[in-house]
Amino acid sequence: MSLLDIQNCTMKFGGLTCVDSLNTHVGKDELVGMIGPNGAGKTTVFNIITGVYNPTGGDVLFKDKSVVPLKPYEVAEIGISRTFQNIRLFQSLSVRDNIRVSFVKSIKAGFFISTFHIGNYLKEEKEIEDKIDELLDIFGLLDVRDEYAVSLPYGEQRKVEIVRALATSPELLLLDEPAAGMNPTEKTELMSLIKMVKDKFKISILLIEHDMKVVMGVCERIIVLDYGKKIAEGNPENIKNDPKVIEAYLGETHH
Amino acid sequence: MKNKLLFLSSLVLVFIINLFAGNIDPYYYTILIYIGINIILASSLNLINGYTGQFSLGHAGFMAIGAYLSVSFSTYFAPFFIDTFGQGVFGNSISFIILLLIGGIAAAIAGIIVGVPSLRLKGDYLAITTLGFAEIIRVIIQSLDVVGASQGFRGAYIFENGMKAAMIPADMSSVPYVFYSVPKYTNFFWTFAFVAIIIFFISNLMSSSYGRGFLAVKDDEVAAESMGVNTTKFKVIAFVSGAFFAGIAGALYGHFNLYINPEDFNFLKSVEIVVMVILGGMGSMVGVIIAAVILTILPEFLRGIAEYRMIIYALLLIIMMLLRPQGLFGVQLRPKKKK
Ligand SMILES: Nc1ncnc2c1ncn2[C@@H]1O[C@H](COP(=O)(O)OP(=O)(O)O)[C@@H](O)[C@H]1O
Ligand SMILES: [Mg+2]
Repeated sequence: MSLLDIQNCTMKFGGLTCVDSLNTHVGKDELVGMIGPNGAGKTTVFNIITGVYNPTGGDVLFKDKSVVPLKPYEVAEIGISRTFQNIRLFQSLSVRDNIRVSFVKSIKAGFFISTFHIGNYLKEEKEIEDKIDELLDIFGLLDVRDEYAVSLPYGEQRKVEIVRALATSPELLLLDEPAAGMNPTEKTELMSLIKMVKDKFKISILLIEHDMKVVMGVCERIIVLDYGKKIAEGNPENIKNDPKVIEAYLGETHH
Repeated sequence: MKNKLLFLSSLVLVFIINLFAGNIDPYYYTILIYIGINIILASSLNLINGYTGQFSLGHAGFMAIGAYLSVSFSTYFAPFFIDTFGQGVFGNSISFIILLLIGGIAAAIAGIIVGVPSLRLKGDYLAITTLGFAEIIRVIIQSLDVVGASQGFRGAYIFENGMKAAMIPADMSSVPYVFYSVPKYTNFFWTFAFVAIIIFFISNLMSSSYGRGFLAVKDDEVAAESMGVNTTKFKVIAFVSGAFFAGIAGALYGHFNLYINPEDFNFLKSVEIVVMVILGGMGSMVGVIIAAVILTILPEFLRGIAEYRMIIYALLLIIMMLLRPQGLFGVQLRPKKKK
């Protein structure tokens, strides 16, 4: 049984078909890469999975239940979390407070307890703080936890986004070009970090990357999109030598 | 813990000051009370417009509901309150707490009715619905004879035959009656106790992890939703809490002024509260309090040009937007340049 099942999914905007009858899946504990040229529809797939868009056709199942009728916050509640290609950190919050937002959905203290700071309020806040620090430490961000998240360099902002998504305790993590804007060494480092996180937290990851080379090393399976269609799927070795994939990428370099 | 101690000691302080409040010149005392009421109004709107990033433009409407409902109860049901709780300091206090809660809860219910449908929609529907709502409330009150309509409301006539009215009807001029004027319950203690309560409420809520939900909604709704924040719920909570405190402020106002008129709660009043929030810096508690103080005192110096208040507010806002868009005390949120 796969964790995420995308069944014949189609997304049309007006006359434009951005995702075309896509069939694919993500299994438990899998790290899957989704690659394809710019505008191939990768981010749109994420927006469908997370309930930002309703697909115009087909279905998306998470643990055998459709996510299509769910609102984005409900998708997060059932265990799917994501990062954004164009970083969307909370600008008025520190690094740590950005991540605290991820605990809002699971916190036991509701409106009343949080107003009066009674009961287990302090204990729970302390637990949250410890979890945040643990996550920040993994990503080497402990030193900057009190800075405004948007004041950090680009690469660190991307890491904060990953930590924020991880803090919602997802079973499936969707990463949209997490290595964008980084240099090749940073990219390789980040990829092994992602793989480590996947193993440590026993989650599944679907990772979008524009650059094929970056995901080759870490992904067990790769999905290739071009003009909204899946043109190839398989292990990195096969993908690298697939003529359709080579053509899609060659075509792109000529633009 | 620190907050609780601070809160309790400020209540004690307010209580002690209240013991000496009799020595304050009545003119300054009145200004002091209005400062307190405006702090409650501005802080409660700050919850909606500042912390949660929505734009409500009808806060005076909730104040009106609180004022009219609470004052109606304290006059029309005056015999009940007097019989039940007596008129000693203690009995009056119980009566007033109930009356304040009536004002607050009525405004909160109105907040749910207005807020739930308009906050579910994406986009800036809130400004237009709240503006319309406040105007509708004012027009309704203007035509409600039971609260004096456009004449304003001073108290209730309770006739011997059981009839009750805000004015003496022509055919009842020979029937004996008792006139229950609005009781002067509001004093320094109650006003500033609620100032302390709202400060305690906001600072506690906003410092909690749960409270991050409001700030996340303000910064980025899409990201907040994706992290599991039910953005509509948080907007409604902020809006209804804000309405509740505006209702309390209205009840305090009614029981201080002892006369309320629909024009006390017109569009200008709503704008005044919005200006306090913007001037103080959206989401800055201290800034909004200082702005509320300044904008309460300022008109006292400008009595001669009171008709131009709207123009002065507009100019203040424009100058503010140009020079300090984050407000007098707001934090500059431009990312630091860092390599
Ligand atoms: N809301 C939208 N309305 C119209 N077109 C859209 C919308 N979202 C995405 N698209 C279009 O869908 C196509 C795929 O976009 P996207 O999924 O962002 O590609 P990728 O992430 O692979 O670079 C693009 O042509 C884009 O312009
Ligand atoms: Mg994209």
